[in-house]
Amino acid sequence: MSHGHSRAAESGSQVRNPLKRKLLARLEGKRSLENIEPRIFPEDGGPVKGDVVELHGGEGTGKTEALYHLVARCILPEASGGLEVEVVFVDTDYHLDALRLVSVLERRLPAGADQTVKASLARLYVIHCSSAVQLLLTLHYLEGLFCSRPSLSALILDSVSAFYWVDRANGGDSLALQESNLRKCTKILERLLRDFGIVVFATTHAIMRNYASKVDDNDSSSSHRRWSSAHTDLSKAYLCRAWQGVVTHRVYFSKGDAAEGGRQVFSVMSSCSRTKTTRRCSFHVTDGGVHFL
Amino acid sequence: MVFLREGLCPGLSEEMIEALRSKDIRTVEDLVSSDTEELAQTCSMSYKALVAVRRVLLAQHTAFPVSGADLYDELLSSTAILSTGNASLDKLLDTGLYTGELTELAGCPGSGKTQVCFGVAANLSCELKQRVLFIDTSGGLSATRLLQMIKAKTSSMEEQMEALQRIQVAQAFDVFSLLECLHNLRSGGFQQVSAGGGVLKAVIVDSVTAVLSHILGGKQSEGMSLMIQVAGELRTIAKDLNVAVLVTNHVTKDGNGILKAGLGLSWSHVPRTRILLKRVEKPSPACCSLRTATLVKSSRQPCHLTQEIDLKSWGETEDELPGPSGKRKLMDEDPREA
Repeated sequence: MSHGHSRAAESGSQVRNPLKRKLLARLEGKRSLENIEPRIFPEDGGPVKGDVVELHGGEGTGKTEALYHLVARCILPEASGGLEVEVVFVDTDYHLDALRLVSVLERRLPAGADQTVKASLARLYVIHCSSAVQLLLTLHYLEGLFCSRPSLSALILDSVSAFYWVDRANGGDSLALQESNLRKCTKILERLLRDFGIVVFATTHAIMRNYASKVDDNDSSSSHRRWSSAHTDLSKAYLCRAWQGVVTHRVYFSKGDAAEGGRQVFSVMSSCSRTKTTRRCSFHVTDGGVHFL
Repeated sequence: MVFLREGLCPGLSEEMIEALRSKDIRTVEDLVSSDTEELAQTCSMSYKALVAVRRVLLAQHTAFPVSGADLYDELLSSTAILSTGNASLDKLLDTGLYTGELTELAGCPGSGKTQVCFGVAANLSCELKQRVLFIDTSGGLSATRLLQMIKAKTSSMEEQMEALQRIQVAQAFDVFSLLECLHNLRSGGFQQVSAGGGVLKAVIVDSVTAVLSHILGGKQSEGMSLMIQVAGELRTIAKDLNVAVLVTNHVTKDGNGILKAGLGLSWSHVPRTRILLKRVEKPSPACCSLRTATLVKSSRQPCHLTQEIDLKSWGETEDELPGPSGKRKLMDEDPREA
């Protein structure tokens, strides 16, 4: 942790006038992330400033690999096909494997580009959060950081569902109390999105089964129907409505049934609520990260 | 949840707390989330003082960002890969257990989960001379078997005793004592007892299922909450203390009759690496110690790699034991593997 950052963040939080903040963010001309990965997002439906992308999928469906892919694309220099923007990675699952991320970066750079890897990694800020309250306070703290570092363009939350069960049990019988932490987080996120024009990428774990779609599956005999319900089987949205309201892009991850040619194929279906378009793609995971098919 | 109280931070006076309480602001989250300007007006407090308090509280309770470059340097200097003492298992794990990560062994009863745990503990304490915390939740720990495995590695009585001393055992037969045990570990409770030297490099929980499975189910969410808290503690310990965490889990069958790790969907996201252990079904009683291990989740290796492992490689269950190197060699050249 560097003291420079916290000091800069503190001075940043003194800009209390929202108009001034917006100007600050705008003057710097934040880079658009619209073309972050045209193979995942629908045409003309890439994430623009203020969008929230939810990456949803079960265990081992390639979410984390896809995140590394997106992070690498953000932090790599323009000369190496990156966007050269800064990223905040909030790790609530303690899942970020920096060693893996570095091997993904190295594969995209010419051999011996250690300095470039270092410089790219310096564009990434990692925060580990161990409780919902800490997440909320950290988001408040980030307000200052985003203000002082206009080149920060993306916020990654891996995952936003980490504290779901704890919140639910702590809330007792009241749904409002159960959801209060995430609702508060969403509120501050909305402010960050509006004031700083960032893009949020958040993963949610598939931890609920959609029993309704399973029944459909048995009723319908068409193969297409079976395919789609098999893939949305775990797609049940269980997080609070406030969160569902801010999500603009949904990306569903699923695992192919069998490994083809020795490699596991992962499929992705993404939809954009702004343009009402969807896109499907599939990839497999190599040493160098995501490889689209 | 942190309640506002006097002495929590400089500048937070009793009058201030009283005034805030009248506006229903009781916790740090409430104060941080509320509009400071409006609050200063309605409570007739000094805006400056309130901003200062908010900033200090935020700095005290927030998690701070670390630069990716620093994180990577730290990882490079601190990550250790701990050999399990079994070549095939090491191959699956990409040379061994990584510190800072959570690895899970899943398997039916009798698939050798506990034996693998013993083997890992014996190898760490005896070969690598590091300390291990073995959290036994099912009463399945057998000191005799551990000693057998250690005896297979060294014949010196003194070294055997030292190795045994490096394996600390904690028993936790319910989820609350497990959580207490993990809390203690995190706050340094186990560090003081350091007979035998070495640093704590691994925490083994055999098994997590024994304390978690019966609290799940039904329409209650307390059980899920406790499970996620155990998962959180384990992951924090792995990262903060830089130890490898190894847990065992049982298995269930999914709709297609394929074995999968137990404890449900929420737990399935918890381990970084998961290995499924199965008995080798062969009629001959000679190979009853053979198991197949399949990598079912990993961020480093392609999944569905399978290796055959011999539980005897950590030491025979009988009295007379050949040296460990001879045993290892025997396994590597095992014709049955081909």
